[in-house]
Amino acid sequence: MSSTASSAVGRLLPAISSLLRPPPEDELREYGGVGLVRRRRVIDVGCGDGRMALGCAPYASEVIGVDPDPEAIRLARAKARELGAANTRFKVGVAQELPFADARFDVEILSWTL
Amino acid sequence: MVDALREAHRVLRPRGLLIDARPDSRIFAYAEHRIGSGTYRPAGVIATSREELGNDRTSDRAVAAAARNRWFRSLTSGRFWHRVLFEDRPALQRYLDDHARFVHRVRWMADPARRRRWEADPWAIRRAVRYELFERI
Repeated sequence: MSSTASSAVGRLLPAISSLLRPPPEDELREYGGVGLVRRRRVIDVGCGDGRMALGCAPYASEVIGVDPDPEAIRLARAKARELGAANTRFKVGVAQELPFADARFDVEILSWTL
Repeated sequence: MVDALREAHRVLRPRGLLIDARPDSRIFAYAEHRIGSGTYRPAGVIATSREELGNDRTSDRAVAAAARNRWFRSLTSGRFWHRVLFEDRPALQRYLDDHARFVHRVRWMADPARRRRWEADPWAIRRAVRYELFERI
């Protein structure tokens, strides 16, 4: 399994760190496949530029991505628009204080977050 | 980190799924030289930086605390590998220079003459990722 980093990537910003991570479908496959998120309400905490959140979007009923970096969230929203991921939303926030009701989600993803 | 897991417990429904994945700092990453289409050969090993080892231990302790508090129970765990690709060896070195996760120097297995010969070839860092799936109690 490979992910691609161009040599042009010098001093990497957190927002583009997804270039250095596995493709989301590969990562989901390792965990057990897309069945884990199919028709589920998913929250991706520390979502960065939306790599995993947008990888779950075609299968999940709803995906929320949360990241403390506003620039990463801006990129994630732009990607979501580009992909037409209507079931996906991104919010600036921190893992310790999620702005959601109790028991709101079926799946939480902490990929490269803890 | 314990606070993040407490919050995960709060926003997940009972029997909901928590996926925790992070680079596996317990084992070396490999600096690999491409020898053919999609085929790479290890030419050196790369250790995790001391700071990141400390961070990973803190994460481990947080996960252990979450289990002790009966917020989550482990369902399964494992490890997979992935490659980060670089156009050439200087690009790989720039990555090491700029990132905190690894130490900045490769511990080479290939001798200097071969490394010089391979300088402009494609390289990769192959690293392990460990994951654990938990059920929210």
